[in-house]
Amino acid sequence: MKLGSIYFALLGTVTLAFGLADLIVTMATDSFSWGILEIPGDMFRGGWGGLVVLFAGLFYLSGARSISDIRQLSKVAMGSILICTLAGCDVFARVTESIPGGEEGWFNTLEGFLGVYAPPYPPVIFLLPFSLVVIYYIRKAK
Amino acid sequence: MSLTVDERWDLIDSIAKKTITYGRYKETLKDVIGELTVKPMTGIPIAITTMYAFWSIFGSFAGTLFTDGFFVKLFDEHWLPWMQAHFPGAGGWLYYIIVGDPAADNCFEAFGMLTSGIFVAIGVVLPAIFIFYLMLTLLEDVGYLPRLAVLVDTVLHKIGLHGYAIVPTILALGCNVPGVTATRILETRKERFVMMTLLAIFVPCGAQLGIMEEVVPESMGLIILYLIIGYFITGLVLNKIIPGISPEILMDVPPYQKPLLSNVILKVWVRMKSFFKTAIPFVLLGCVIVNVLYLAGFIQWLGSTFSPVFVTWFGVPEATAGPLVAAFLRKDLAVAQLSVIEMSAYQMVTAVVLVSIYFPCLATFMMLLKEGWKELLGSLAVLISVVFLYGGLLHLIGILAGVA
Amino acid sequence: MRVLLMGHPNVGKSVVFNRLTGVDVIASNYPGTTVEYAQGSTRVEGEDVTVIDVPGTFSLEPKDSAEKVAVEMLEQERGAVVISVIDSSKVERGLYLTLELIERGYPVILALNMWDIAKDKMIDIDVKKLSRIMGIPVVSTIAISGDGIRKLASLIKEAKPIKVDEIVERVGS
Repeated sequence: MKLGSIYFALLGTVTLAFGLADLIVTMATDSFSWGILEIPGDMFRGGWGGLVVLFAGLFYLSGARSISDIRQLSKVAMGSILICTLAGCDVFARVTESIPGGEEGWFNTLEGFLGVYAPPYPPVIFLLPFSLVVIYYIRKAK
Repeated sequence: MSLTVDERWDLIDSIAKKTITYGRYKETLKDVIGELTVKPMTGIPIAITTMYAFWSIFGSFAGTLFTDGFFVKLFDEHWLPWMQAHFPGAGGWLYYIIVGDPAADNCFEAFGMLTSGIFVAIGVVLPAIFIFYLMLTLLEDVGYLPRLAVLVDTVLHKIGLHGYAIVPTILALGCNVPGVTATRILETRKERFVMMTLLAIFVPCGAQLGIMEEVVPESMGLIILYLIIGYFITGLVLNKIIPGISPEILMDVPPYQKPLLSNVILKVWVRMKSFFKTAIPFVLLGCVIVNVLYLAGFIQWLGSTFSPVFVTWFGVPEATAGPLVAAFLRKDLAVAQLSVIEMSAYQMVTAVVLVSIYFPCLATFMMLLKEGWKELLGSLAVLISVVFLYGGLLHLIGILAGVA
Repeated sequence: MRVLLMGHPNVGKSVVFNRLTGVDVIASNYPGTTVEYAQGSTRVEGEDVTVIDVPGTFSLEPKDSAEKVAVEMLEQERGAVVISVIDSSKVERGLYLTLELIERGYPVILALNMWDIAKDKMIDIDVKKLSRIMGIPVVSTIAISGDGIRKLASLIKEAKPIKVDEIVERVGS
């Protein structure tokens, strides 16, 4: 369980940093791209979405210590639920974007369809796989 | 023979002792997470996330996928030109009512019964209502809504309502009619009156939210903020001036559970059915009535007569008179109509807020009447004062901020 | 024959109702969804039975207008059988309303609903013994999955009015 605590403390720190980055970018500029990472800058996705990432980070950090205790574990689990929710919304948004054809016709071409899923991605997508580690600890607790 | 309250509890105690054994109960993750969603420190972030997700999915599904993705194209590029070309008697009054403006190149401008009417009802509002009810039902059946009620209990108490009031408010966000019905779970007449009035004035319905997301997406945040502030201020004032009590109630929180698919489908269907029955006829009828009133010159007359009120007091163009008439029938229609009137972004915000708070739509009005005419008259009195004060206030804020 | 479904808010009356009658009533996972009554019918051993879903009420001394509706309905249905639906994890509170119903002379059947949740909470209820002490039919149900509903329907005919002193006596002995 020691390892779990370290893992989620680290993940929490990174998540918190991304959340802060989201908020700062939203306040300062439009959006910020770096390789395959894009920090969104609009009020809704960047501002409110960033706040959600920030909350997730705080949940991880407050739950990371002694996660063998179910009360602590529940906070970590909640952090992951927030990450999954936000990432789910982003993925869903891309799905709904990818189907209609826009100017071209009723439905999108295969190329256009796949193009929507190309990077850059917002931070929460990168956090998603790491957040799923909590499932292992939930199973272990049972 | 009849027992006293204490005798009854004593009897129950001894029955329970003989028949019920309590095992040692170990807290599960589900319980602890349930607690997290109720405690303010952790519950508020979770509530914000839930609302974010609700709105994000609402916009993606109804806006991006259905309305912008398919329906706008279908109606603007195919249906509208076809109707304009094929409906006989261009320039005549019947053409004006059914098809609308022959020069219009989109379904918001045309404003005919079979062009804009159908577009608003099917193209914009239908997908919005569907996704709204689907998500609402899921949140209900999973067990999140009652927890949200506990969470907001403290805040709502300040305006004289207990946490239960979130249930009518959330239902009213789908449609105000079931929201008004749901106020019956409130205990005192005072609470019911306050709630009904707040619903009728400040809570926009799903149809209206859907169309707002379509026509004024960039101002949504501000509009919603104004409505929420109005909801609380008016609630606080009403709580102070109306005699009566708002008692504390103990609320049961059901456990989190997996939603039952059949129940979800049934509920969404029942709610959609009432949409088909009332909304679509009203939207179509609304188009006809508004067009007839335009043809008769009534709306122009209304606009110029009340011009001082519109222009000087509220700071919106005279032409807003038309949408305000339509708003009595359907708010979604009114917002659609507003979207083509030329005005500044802030005027649009004021106008949309006015359309929302001004008079409840006909269906809600009938529902309020059913709950009691005294209540209805009271609500209307509150409503008129609120529209004037709040509308003027928004104008003032605009002037002070230099955007009006 | 007429049957009333009564119980606290949010114990699953509407789900029991849906299961019994097949009529669509909106059931929600929060209290106070049924504020007006719903009516449906079912057949028990060849006889038509009208089932009425009454709004939830904590006791027979009404506090809000939905509860008032419930109590008024009960008073109108003098000859009806009442199915008292209670939350198995909170039996004591449910029994209070059940006793009130018995005292008013209604034939009562007790449905211990949400049995699965009680089990999760390690609460064990001796159904047979409870039925013997109360002197009324008692059945455990899980309405959302349909468990026990058939048995509940078959017991409707066995309900008869009893005296509350008999319960007091049986508990004493």
